[in-house]
Amino acid sequence: MVAANAPARAAGIALGNNKRAVGYRCPEAHVVAWDEEADNRHFSAGVGALEELVARFTLLSPGTLAIPLDSLKHGYADEPSAVEALISALVSATGWEFFPGIAGTVFAAVLAAGQARRVEPGETAEFLAVQPVSTLEYAGAGATELIDTFTQLGLRTLGDLAALDARDVNSRFGALGKRAHDLATGVEWTPLSDHVREERLNVELGLDTPTTRSDTLGFLTRQLAAELLTAVRSRGLVCTQITIELIAVSGQSSKRTWRIEDMNENTIADRLRWQAEGWLAGATRQGPAAARTGPQTGSGPQAQAGSAPQIGTAPDDPGPDPEDFSEEGIIAVGLVAAELTTPIGATRSLFDENTGQVTHTLERLQGLFGPDSVLVPGLQGGWDPAETNLWTPWQQAASPVRSPGAPWPGALHAPRPTTVEHLPVDVLAAGGRPVGARPAGLESAPYAIRFPTGTTEEIADYSGSWPVESGWWDPAKAIYRTRLQVVTGSGQALLLSKENGQWYITGRYR
Amino acid sequence: MSAVPLVEQLSREMGISTAAALFDGLAPRTVDPVLAPMFRRGGLPRGEIVTLTGGQSLSCALATIAVATQEQKWCAGIGLGEPAVSSIADLGVDLDHFVNLVTPAEDWLRVVSILIESFDVLVVDPGFLPSAGERARLLAKVRERKISFISLTSMPGSTEQIEITDTQWSGTERGHGRLRSCLVQARSQTGVHRFLLPGPEGTPAEAPAPTPAEGISERPVIRSVS
Repeated sequence: MVAANAPARAAGIALGNNKRAVGYRCPEAHVVAWDEEADNRHFSAGVGALEELVARFTLLSPGTLAIPLDSLKHGYADEPSAVEALISALVSATGWEFFPGIAGTVFAAVLAAGQARRVEPGETAEFLAVQPVSTLEYAGAGATELIDTFTQLGLRTLGDLAALDARDVNSRFGALGKRAHDLATGVEWTPLSDHVREERLNVELGLDTPTTRSDTLGFLTRQLAAELLTAVRSRGLVCTQITIELIAVSGQSSKRTWRIEDMNENTIADRLRWQAEGWLAGATRQGPAAARTGPQTGSGPQAQAGSAPQIGTAPDDPGPDPEDFSEEGIIAVGLVAAELTTPIGATRSLFDENTGQVTHTLERLQGLFGPDSVLVPGLQGGWDPAETNLWTPWQQAASPVRSPGAPWPGALHAPRPTTVEHLPVDVLAAGGRPVGARPAGLESAPYAIRFPTGTTEEIADYSGSWPVESGWWDPAKAIYRTRLQVVTGSGQALLLSKENGQWYITGRYR
Repeated sequence: MSAVPLVEQLSREMGISTAAALFDGLAPRTVDPVLAPMFRRGGLPRGEIVTLTGGQSLSCALATIAVATQEQKWCAGIGLGEPAVSSIADLGVDLDHFVNLVTPAEDWLRVVSILIESFDVLVVDPGFLPSAGERARLLAKVRERKISFISLTSMPGSTEQIEITDTQWSGTERGHGRLRSCLVQARSQTGVHRFLLPGPEGTPAEAPAPTPAEGISERPVIRSVS
């Protein structure tokens, strides 16, 4: 239990209770699993009311926000009236209870808010000195261990810790220890970054007639991008990432986030052109069957008229001619400034070795061969190398599907295959029958492997098979897979996996 | 008569800019100590083409470039298919300085000619063998930009040829273990070398014993996976 509302607390539910204890105290209590993102979203939406009242504030965590007192100086006569005005505005806007606390540092103010009190200026150190050392949990992950150590060393209060020499604490406990010492002595660590107003900087453009011509799109985008960048600049900010969204007649959309070092309307137009070309070419390659689903929601004669020649063209013709390579075309374009920062944050570091030149080279290649031709590696969660691979086009934000932090029982150990494939093969036992696999193991010893080209190779040695079973609670996600490593007669090692009754080569050691 | 035109000619044609370079050439790039003896000068040469062929040659190439990427040198792979990121990371390559190019196989020379401008190491599995003229241009460019070029197929004009002649995987134990390490025998201009690639940790390691037969039979498998 990490949080409970007032009626729940009245029923005797306290923080730290487990689910069973909650059910015992109040059977009708509704227990919800904690989701940090939902918390954040909910909270930041709620405090929107504050944007109208104060110039600067910072969201520390869901449920905690900090307001520098000097930002209130001009608007309010004195502290009590300011606090009263802010709290009443927040409570009436959100319906939540807020506790105010005023102190010399943010950490002290958070502690003071727990007691809803005001620490007089200059008394912050005394106020902190009597607090128990466990309050250092505020310092974040990793602090728990430090608190245990401090307690074992006999440092029960922050005052005990503050009495130690800062240099000694730093040399013994490192950066985290230094941070804890700073908090305990009432030294502000870093100035808090201000909450940037939650306006979404975006521009949209609907086209009169759908188009598949990327040069037309590029031309229109240049104006649109200039508009967006002017809006960004007028706020004294710099845009470092941009999200481009294309909407087709059929309602499908393509959304990608690009990181651009020298952001201007031309580079944005280039990215949009790449994205549009790749998307439209991909849609064409799927063939008429996929393409025919397009115009069902299509509006206007353009989509209908264009559909006939499209179905006529062969699907294996990638269609370098942009005039008739898709029957739908793009009807709307949207640009969102995905990452905004201050100009100083966007300057390139001196210590990055020749990234500028590398960027230039890779962008040139992307221009020649399409954005998906230049891939940078990343890792995500998964059992097999094919799943942990996360190749992202250069300068696009990586979007992992599976969490690398989560446990992946049965994941492949090193040495792992060097390349990933997905090639159906037959694995045969001595009699020529296919080898079956069960969670308990293989039904018979593999003897030979037959490749789709027709060649058969003897299996010299093979590993134990190990199964992956996951998602059995959801038929759509269910995975039953058996993996096997084999060494062929020619000394080549392969990773095989059997799924839905078919063996595949999923990795090659080369 | 001054030596300036001669020096200019040397530096343009041979990539030699100082007298010391005339004798020593460029200092090679550091490689993993296990792999160092394979190279004539104890490291990955710069401004030259090295060929690495045979089984496990891709692993060997990636292990060779690992130290360079850790030293913030940019490396690109061309024509490698889809490499497994986990194994690249296991071999010690810094993922922030590795780029994989997915371009048509017949365009590899064009891609190389663009990458040569700013990259330090290229690992290429050429889609086709270049003609004599193209090869001469490539060699000149490699020498001029002082990059390290590793080709995974044999190519005339290369200065060092490393051929992996034998690979022996161990650990599978006929259905009772898993792949643990691979004993590799490689032949280069410096002789025949034996080492484990990948070793038990996924990185290159010294061969366990002088003869391969002993090396394998002495490795007991304690844990079996059933």
